[in-house]
Formats: sequence, structure tokens, C-alpha cells
Amino acid sequence: MNLVKSELFKIRSTSTWWILGLVTFVLWALTLLINWAGSSINSSPESTEGLTAEQAEQVRVANEAVNVASNLYTSGQFFGVLMVMLLAAIVVTNEFFHQTATTTFLVTPRRQSVVLAKLIASTLLGLTFWLITTVLNLIFVPFILDALNVGSQLGEPAIWRALGLNALAYALWAILGVGAGVLIRSQIAATITLSTVYVIGYFGATTIFFILGPRLGDWFSKLQVLVPPLASQLMVSGTELPGNPPRWVGAVVLIGYAVVAGGLGTWLMKRRDIA
Amino acid sequence: MTAGSEEIVVSHLTKHYKQLRAVDDLSFTVHSGRVTGFLGPNGAGKTTTLRMLLGLVTPSGGTATFGGVRYNDLDQPIRHVGAVLEASSAHKGRTGLNHLRMICTAAGLPWQAADEALAKVGLTPAAKRKFKGYSLGMKQRLGIAAALLGNPRVLILDEPANGLDPEGIRWMRDLLKALAAEGRTVLVSSHLLGEMQQLADDVVIIAAGRLVRQGPVGEVLGSMAGMTQVRVRTPQVEALTAALSARNATVTPLPDGALLVTGLDAAAVGHTAFTSSVELHELAGERADLEQVFLQLTAGKAGIR
Repeated sequence: MNLVKSELFKIRSTSTWWILGLVTFVLWALTLLINWAGSSINSSPESTEGLTAEQAEQVRVANEAVNVASNLYTSGQFFGVLMVMLLAAIVVTNEFFHQTATTTFLVTPRRQSVVLAKLIASTLLGLTFWLITTVLNLIFVPFILDALNVGSQLGEPAIWRALGLNALAYALWAILGVGAGVLIRSQIAATITLSTVYVIGYFGATTIFFILGPRLGDWFSKLQVLVPPLASQLMVSGTELPGNPPRWVGAVVLIGYAVVAGGLGTWLMKRRDIA
Repeated sequence: MTAGSEEIVVSHLTKHYKQLRAVDDLSFTVHSGRVTGFLGPNGAGKTTTLRMLLGLVTPSGGTATFGGVRYNDLDQPIRHVGAVLEASSAHKGRTGLNHLRMICTAAGLPWQAADEALAKVGLTPAAKRKFKGYSLGMKQRLGIAAALLGNPRVLILDEPANGLDPEGIRWMRDLLKALAAEGRTVLVSSHLLGEMQQLADDVVIIAAGRLVRQGPVGEVLGSMAGMTQVRVRTPQVEALTAALSARNATVTPLPDGALLVTGLDAAAVGHTAFTSSVELHELAGERADLEQVFLQLTAGKAGIR
């Protein structure tokens, strides 16, 4: 417990958290506006031209009010979890960048406890980011939905499930970040690699699956969920989308990555020499 | 760990990296109540040894214990052992006070200990300044403050004099001597030998990862008595040279006209001159200092490995 407090104090006593927090806030606002612009309830058929029957069906379901709403209520997730992952990675790489690993492990030679404290502290940080964006979404999204001429949808259990799974996504990305920070100890390398892989990986994967999906068949499209950012987006979809795996699969995939990253990180940290 | 049992015992400690034996079957003991200088040329394995002592580097073989307990097995280690390893080991954007508070929190010490430690090293005025604004001397002081937080019985410092001005070095010397006088065990590594001669009670000298000599400073210097040099000045250079050479001493003329005699002590040189009826204008025994001893002992073992 002392270790978790110390890790939280480490985050609090430097300026990284509020800089990334500010970036997150700006990106959240942008995302919300973009989502608003891209939202249309029960879209007209011409926008589905050039799509396969299945893709058209996906678009139709995605445009149901409840799914539009859950997309809006989880606005900011794409960049939010990226920032949480970066902060979590920095929680680890800081120790090497500023050579404080020596001090940290002198105070606590049991290194697995240190990694565990970092995982817990980062998860709490991730949940804080989630809480703030969610509160902001709950304040602003009803106005947007009103402008789209539908109700707030807050009576729909699907919305609350999406919000809950969104929290899980933030927490899991924090764990992924800690694991990644152990694997890539260089602060700059970790930050650049993670951002690049996250963003390019997302758009690259989306494109590849969009093009190849219809040709290779259903089984290939279902592999989308293995791409981490796609997995976390799947988790926050309001109702089950046709042609997509159930939401819990997204959660399982992310948990899998988090366990591997956290476990591998702890194992490496335990055996490495701190020089 | 009970009081009075804080001896550091290093036993057959070994660390090899691929081809290189950084530390090679090293054994020595550090006693409490004394300042022990840990000496060796750069790259001798001092830092690796200290890091193995503190559980940061895993030894390939051998053990290092504090009062019989390995560092990683100590309960709340910073209450037993304080260590200063790198001067620049704090987050640049964090204040000095918060750096210490962070350690206090992790170790379950009250934050008040942070203020006290800062006061002890004279950093209170800079408590709220960020680490990046600290001078090298202030960074060293902060490192020492961190080491003192848990009021440990053992202190380990790696090259603490690096980057300190003469006033800072003097401050450090007085502090470490005072800590040893309180019965604590103090181990200080350095390649600055002049400093050790003034500070250390005992020395452990290593080169190329191996123990070269260990013992009280006076004893290690004494063991080099054979190296004693005597400086003499005489108008009868040839007569004295002949007489001294007859007693197997080596005589080297110095540029200023004096002679440097090795192999005999000052009394023997004076006696030889007297019995040979040679007039002396100057006779001075030059005590071998740690620097010379050190260079002799580690000669040929340093270098890049």
C-alpha cells in the first residue's frame, strides 16, 4: 500500500500527468465534435452504396440511436487510452531515464512488489482519466443527442454497459502501458513506438480488414478483435454489431495482452541488473 | 539485525559478463565504527561490487552480507543501510523535498524525516527547487540526505567526492568521520587517493576485479616501507653515491642537484654518510603516500579490460 501511495506521489510530483491530461482533454473535445458530425440516426440507404450486404447491415445497426449514443458517450476513448498507456509506460521508463530505479529498488528490493504497485497506480490513473471523460460526456452528449432529435438514451442498459466496459478498457490499457514500459526502457523510444504502433496500427489494421475482409471471408474479419485498439472499440459498442464477435471477446483479448505484458514485465524486471 | 553486528562481509564475490570477469573471487570485511576506503583504478569493479552488495546486480557467485543478512533479505533495508550511488539519480522535474518524500512514503517513514535529512545536509533553502536546478554538489548532498533518511547503521557511498569543490569535500569528510565516530559502518569508494588518505581508517584496494590489499591505512602504507625514499643533498655527490651503492641502495640524481635514495631509510642514509665522512646539507625521509602505494600495487592491472 505504501508502494502504491509512493507511485501515485511520483506521478503527482512531476508535471507529466497534467500535460498529458490537457492533451487528452483537447483530443476528447475534438473527438466529441467529430463524432457529433459523423453521427446520423438511422442513416439513408445511399450512404451504403459500394458496401457488401453485410457491411451495409453493420452500418444500419451502428446507426441505431442506442449505438450512436454509446459511441458518443464513450467519446475520447481512442486517444484517452493512448494517453493512459503512455503515462503508464512513462511511470516505468522514468525510473531508467532519471536513474531513479536504483533508489526505488534500494528502498524495495522485492521488485515484483514495485511492478505491482506501478500496475495498480497506473490502473487508478487510467480510471481517473476514464471518470473525467465520462463525466464530461454525460454532461455534453445529451445536448448532442437532443440536437439529433433523440432522447438521452440513458435509460438504455446498453449505454451503461458500454461505459463500464470503457472503464475496463482504460484500466487494461494502463496495464499494457506498464508492460510496454518495461520492454522498451528508453523513454523516447517507448513514447514514439507506442504512439506510432497504436495510431498506425489502428488505421492500418482497419484498412487491411476492410479490404481483405470481404474476400477472405468471415473468419478473417473476426480476427480484427486481435488488434488491441479495435478490441477496445468493440468493447464499447452499444449492442452487438452483425459480423462482429461479441463484446466480451474484446475484453478477453485485452486482458490477455495485459496479462502477458504485465507478467513479462515483472519477470524481466526481476532478473535484470540495475546498473 | 542487532546493534554492533553491522559488519559488511564480502565472500568470494564474482560477477562475469560474457568474456569479462568484472569482479573475480573478491573477499573482504568492512568493520563498524570506521571509515573504509574502497580503492581501485577506474574500471576495477568497484561500482559493480557495491551494486552486488546492495542487491541491484545479481552476483555470478559468492555472497555479500550486512551483519550476516543479504541486502535483499533485510527487513526495511533503508533503515539498516543507506547508499549513495549516482549523483544524478532523481527526476529532473521533481523538487528535492518531494524526492525524499517519495522515498519516505515507499519506506513507510514519516515525511518529517525528509525535512530533517535536508537540514542535516544543509539543503533546506533549496527544498522546493526542482532537481534540474541543483549544482553537482547539491545533487551529492541530496543523495546523502536520501541515504540518511532511515537513520541507517551502515553507509555506502560510490565516489561521493566527484564534482565537489574543496569546501564540499571537507564537509563530506567531516560528516563521514562523524558518522563513523557514532559507531556506524562507512564504506566509501574512490579513485581519488589523496582524499582517502585523509578520510579512511581502513582501505580495501582492488584492481582488475581482484583484491590487492586490505587493512588499516597505516599498515598498508607500512607494508610499503621497502619503497621508502630519502632525499639528500651533499657537496660530495660521488663519494656518497659510492658509499650508498655499496649498501645496495639505489641512488638517482634529481634535477635540482639533490639525490633520491631508495632501499634505505633516512637513519641508514645518515649513518652511511657519517661513517664515510660525507658532509650532508639536507636529509629528508619521504614517506610513501597512498598514491604511490596505490600506483605500485595496481601497476599493470588497470587499463581497459
